[in-house]
Amino acid sequence: MMATYIATVNRLLSEKVAQIPEVVIYGENINTGSHLVGMTRNFKLERGGRILNVGNCEATHCGVGFGLMMGGATAVLFVKQLDFMLLGMDHFVNTYNFIRAHRERDTLGSFTIVVIVCNQGYQGPQSSFNALGDLCSLARVPGFMVTNQRDAESVIPREIGKPGFRFIALDQRLFPKEILSPDGVRAAEDSSVFQYSSGEDATIVCFNFSFPQGWTLQEKLAERGIKASLFSVNPVLSQDWDGIKESVLKTRRLVVLDDSKSINLLAYTLLHEVTRQIPSIQTVMLTRGLEVEFGVCSDQLQINYESVVQQLETGMAVARG
Amino acid sequence: MSAELTSQDQQMALEMLRVRYWQHIVNEDLKKKKFTVPIHCAIGHEALAVAVSRMMEPEDQLVLTHRNMAYNLARAGGLAQIYAEYQLSPSGPGKGRLGSMNLVCDSKGVAYSSSVLGNNIAVACGMALAKQVKSRPGLVIVFSGDGAMEEGSFYEGLVFSRTQRLGLLILVENNNMSMSSTISERRCGINMDKLCGSVGIPFHTFRGNDLFEYAPTLKQIRRSILEQQTPVCVEAHLGSINQHAGPTPGWPTDPKNISLERGLIVEQSDRDPLFVLKQRLGEPSFENLSSQVLSEPWGG
Repeated sequence: MMATYIATVNRLLSEKVAQIPEVVIYGENINTGSHLVGMTRNFKLERGGRILNVGNCEATHCGVGFGLMMGGATAVLFVKQLDFMLLGMDHFVNTYNFIRAHRERDTLGSFTIVVIVCNQGYQGPQSSFNALGDLCSLARVPGFMVTNQRDAESVIPREIGKPGFRFIALDQRLFPKEILSPDGVRAAEDSSVFQYSSGEDATIVCFNFSFPQGWTLQEKLAERGIKASLFSVNPVLSQDWDGIKESVLKTRRLVVLDDSKSINLLAYTLLHEVTRQIPSIQTVMLTRGLEVEFGVCSDQLQINYESVVQQLETGMAVARG
Repeated sequence: MSAELTSQDQQMALEMLRVRYWQHIVNEDLKKKKFTVPIHCAIGHEALAVAVSRMMEPEDQLVLTHRNMAYNLARAGGLAQIYAEYQLSPSGPGKGRLGSMNLVCDSKGVAYSSSVLGNNIAVACGMALAKQVKSRPGLVIVFSGDGAMEEGSFYEGLVFSRTQRLGLLILVENNNMSMSSTISERRCGINMDKLCGSVGIPFHTFRGNDLFEYAPTLKQIRRSILEQQTPVCVEAHLGSINQHAGPTPGWPTDPKNISLERGLIVEQSDRDPLFVLKQRLGEPSFENLSSQVLSEPWGG
């Protein structure tokens, strides 16, 4: 039977929260209705845990999480939409800065925000914030995108309940679909980078929620005999990009995908670092660019796969002379 | 009152006089530009500060605002440590990393101070919820103000704390001032009694800056919060007699002029808790205790 993305994520979340004593699970509509499109369904807590359906006050939810963390508790806030977290920015920056300046990590409890990115399109102008990296960047907070079975199985059990604060973001486009299950080659210790395949001809690096497109690109390249290494990168401070650089050193071709609408992309930093250290490589950047549609729209990073395949084929032909 | 002064009353009075004295010392050094961090004195807040400090049990936690000096001094019981933090010394309670507006003193129960208006009530709610979940005793006391309560997060905090029946004491310092604008200069009036009543939170008003009235009332309120498992809100009317930040006077023609040379009392009115104390104790007792405090070394 097909395991959907949301069923897999929900299973991993319920298994994890059930193991944490005195955990506080809270959020709007988490224990009623659709349970946030199935994200929080069937949570069963033992050992003094609590599930709190709370009112519509997102800024307060964020501050409460930090208060719980300072009180030594484990808090997990579930949020329907990344846009709502814009109301909590004061706490991500100011409250967390106080904690980081003053408290040792091992004296703290844990605070994790698990948030859905409503990137399925046609949500309207006010429901399309998709740049998790921007939130992470302004407060220097680690963030983890869940895009497939491998990163879900790595990130959810490891990060929830860990001392300190982080975001885990889910991709609503993928909720009803069969979860992608790539083979894993390597995962960085801090989950900053995942490598899913190893190829000799091209290196594909995916940022934000572009992994499904990177996966598709890899398949289209394989159909034309081009073998690619596939990576995805999370907005975590200590980036372990050695594996990506080693790959580019071999392939001499770097394709970077980033579907976020930010104009401050971590992808640019990677591109700068790689091209500085490995000159004369072919690069292809697939991003939203500076022009984005603010009205109701499909809200996807549009990729002309055939064009990308042809660019790489041409590059390879030139390299062969 | 002077005839009935118990040793406990005398101790309370001494604590309040010391908090004022230490603030005078900081203000004098602010005039000499001895600090690089912005410092917000709380001259006029001493009665509430000492009453709260005396109400607290070891398991209680205090959550403050940027104007936290009087409260940190009352809890620390001395100026030396606080002064060290203002000088960003590693020997300060924040190891020189917190400065003034975020100053806390963990060993004395001061757990969090925020320089962002309205930010701290949500954090206090989380701390109180942690106590509830972990079955830990005590309550959390959070300070707000007539400016901070204009923030939406204040209302959110009232609703959240009442819904979760948190052990939370919300203290609103109403000094009728937000930086340099009075309440009537910036907004309509807010009936706190009705606002709290609308969400089922018991409400009290403090007026008059009388330590001997505030201290026992706060102890009763603490008991009721723990017994009835409900947050309580207190609006305390007081005056911040000093300038918003930095030294007072802040400039040569500043009408506010505070100088230790003129003694501990700054205003001859009930805006000044020390003036109220003097009325309570009688002049001889007050002068006696003041002389004692002024002769004490503060460690600087």
